[in-house]
Amino acid sequence: MRLGPDGIAGLVGLAISLVLLPLSFGLPKLPIVPIGPGFYPAIVLAFLAVTSAALVIQDVVAQRRSAVAGEPAAGPRRAYGLVAAAFAVVTAYIVLLPQLGFRISTALFVATFQFVLERPATLSKWLILIAIAVATSLITYLVFDTYLSVLLPRGRWTDW
Amino acid sequence: MLELLGDGIVTVLHWKYLLPLIMGTLTGVIGGALPGVTITMTIIVILPFTYGLDPLAGLAAMTGVYVGGSAGGLITACLIGIPGTPSAIATTFDGFPLARKGQPGRAVWLGVWASFFGGLVGGLFLILVTGPLATIALAFGPWEYFSLFVLAMAMVAGLAEASFAKSLIATAIGLLITIVGTDPIGNAQRFTFGSEFISGGFPFLPVLIGIFAFAQIMTDVEKMRQPRAQGEALAERPTLSVAHLKVIGEILSRPFLFIWSVMVGIVIGVLPAIGGSAASVLAYDQAKKFSKTPELFGTGHPEGIIAAEASNNANVGGSLVTIMAFGIPGDAVTAVMLGAMTIHGIQSGPLFVSQHPDLAYGIYAAYILAHLLMVLIIWASSLFVLRLTTVRLAVLAPVVLVLCVIGAYALNNTMNSVYVLLIFGVLGYILVKGGFPLAPLILGLILGDQIEINLIRAIMTDDNPWLFLTRPISGGLLAASALSVVLAVWQHYRHQKRTAVEQDVDF
Repeated sequence: MRLGPDGIAGLVGLAISLVLLPLSFGLPKLPIVPIGPGFYPAIVLAFLAVTSAALVIQDVVAQRRSAVAGEPAAGPRRAYGLVAAAFAVVTAYIVLLPQLGFRISTALFVATFQFVLERPATLSKWLILIAIAVATSLITYLVFDTYLSVLLPRGRWTDW
Repeated sequence: MLELLGDGIVTVLHWKYLLPLIMGTLTGVIGGALPGVTITMTIIVILPFTYGLDPLAGLAAMTGVYVGGSAGGLITACLIGIPGTPSAIATTFDGFPLARKGQPGRAVWLGVWASFFGGLVGGLFLILVTGPLATIALAFGPWEYFSLFVLAMAMVAGLAEASFAKSLIATAIGLLITIVGTDPIGNAQRFTFGSEFISGGFPFLPVLIGIFAFAQIMTDVEKMRQPRAQGEALAERPTLSVAHLKVIGEILSRPFLFIWSVMVGIVIGVLPAIGGSAASVLAYDQAKKFSKTPELFGTGHPEGIIAAEASNNANVGGSLVTIMAFGIPGDAVTAVMLGAMTIHGIQSGPLFVSQHPDLAYGIYAAYILAHLLMVLIIWASSLFVLRLTTVRLAVLAPVVLVLCVIGAYALNNTMNSVYVLLIFGVLGYILVKGGFPLAPLILGLILGDQIEINLIRAIMTDDNPWLFLTRPISGGLLAASALSVVLAVWQHYRHQKRTAVEQDVDF
């Protein structure tokens, strides 16, 4: 039996619901409420289990049909490597935010993100990249921290 | 009612509210015009700016974004042939051909004035219908609320373009997110596994921002290596001057087309979680069917522009009705507005208009004034806005992400909300890539707590479960839910032979 992405997604949903469902039965009952805190989660998890199972079955049927009909045409090429890099940069930003503080980490993030998506070829493009990074950091800091009284993170390492 | 509306208008005309409304409408027009930046994204970007504002000022800014964004998409749709937002897709069909015929001003202004009048009729509906609907909703008990929320989710799952099973799974994921943390009655910890991080549950707005913003930005990033669809250039600086009275006359001389398109927009807006894109495409399709000259559609026919734009702005009024009368968001934009109201301690729902008349009529007033501002802003800056569309994704994406991080962090000044943002950003992107629609997930996320609370209240009042079916309104709503599911399954089988292709997600 071959499974496609839908079937795998269905199995993940089924696994989550089957792991959490017994836990919902184990939640403590409340004396004044006729139904416990596990009642509603059990309904939702059962619903997730049934729909996930339906997706697995649907996928198995679809896979059999496509095996008969042949492989579908490939879609347009996507830059998944770029997406992974973009997520990595965002993750690094969020991890470094409390360490370096908002101003430094934001400037670094905006510069790195631009660099990852479009590498500057000339000196003037490098300067524009740096200017956008610094300006984004300073303007957002001024608007939020100074004018809107949102206390943006200060850096543990930099105290800035 | 008129007196309250008058008071609302006077209040919003005060600089404290007018300035956020102007800024919101301007941002909406720009965000709407930028291809790849949707109204949802624009309202997410503006969200952190509203935290420190008075509730009405924040909601006025958001209403401005919503109205401005719904019209802003038509500028790029008409002038470069690329819709700024999904709700302007249908405008492109005739707006761009008309502009290419040497009438860019007529194309843009037919759209702007149709948006203006369509939006105002939508506003009239909003003002007249919200109160009576809320009064009906006040008679609801927990059984009726539970059934109403079930109906909303069944409809959204059924109307999503993805497979029905995936839509239901997305709904279940949304509901599951709300279960994590403390339960609403006894404060028992559920599925927290002893973690402090999730002991209070996942905060709504960071989840919403993460899912929508990351999913959209990363979907755009993955297309960066593809050759971009270039809009055909018109003149170097196209002139947009027109005889406005003549253009308005063109719209009002087609009363049936206009009213029908507005009605389509309002109805689609009232239905939960269906956006302006469905409204405009449906209105365009209807206009073509009813037209005496259907063969002219797609060649620069004014009727196509009027139908699409009147309907997508009327849609805004319809969406606001559901959020203000029932507390159910009409689409992702109103979902963010709902979250912003919660931050300010305002509970949306049937008591909203009676408990906060100043706020409710302030929103109506902001909605009406936003249409006037939208016309003025487009009149003054459409060519400037057009130039802004050349901003590259490499510049736009990190700036938007920084604002998303601030939006999550500023909620309670902790990094936990930012971590939630990242976690759900990754989840949102994975779900979009897996072909799971986001609208049912968001609705499940918004309604999850309310469904549970009303279910428990109903059972605590009377433990007879048959009451959900035997109480007339509740039973009727559940029957409608069942009908919606049956229709969705039937539609699924009818379209089963369609080729499975990856579709662009309507954010």
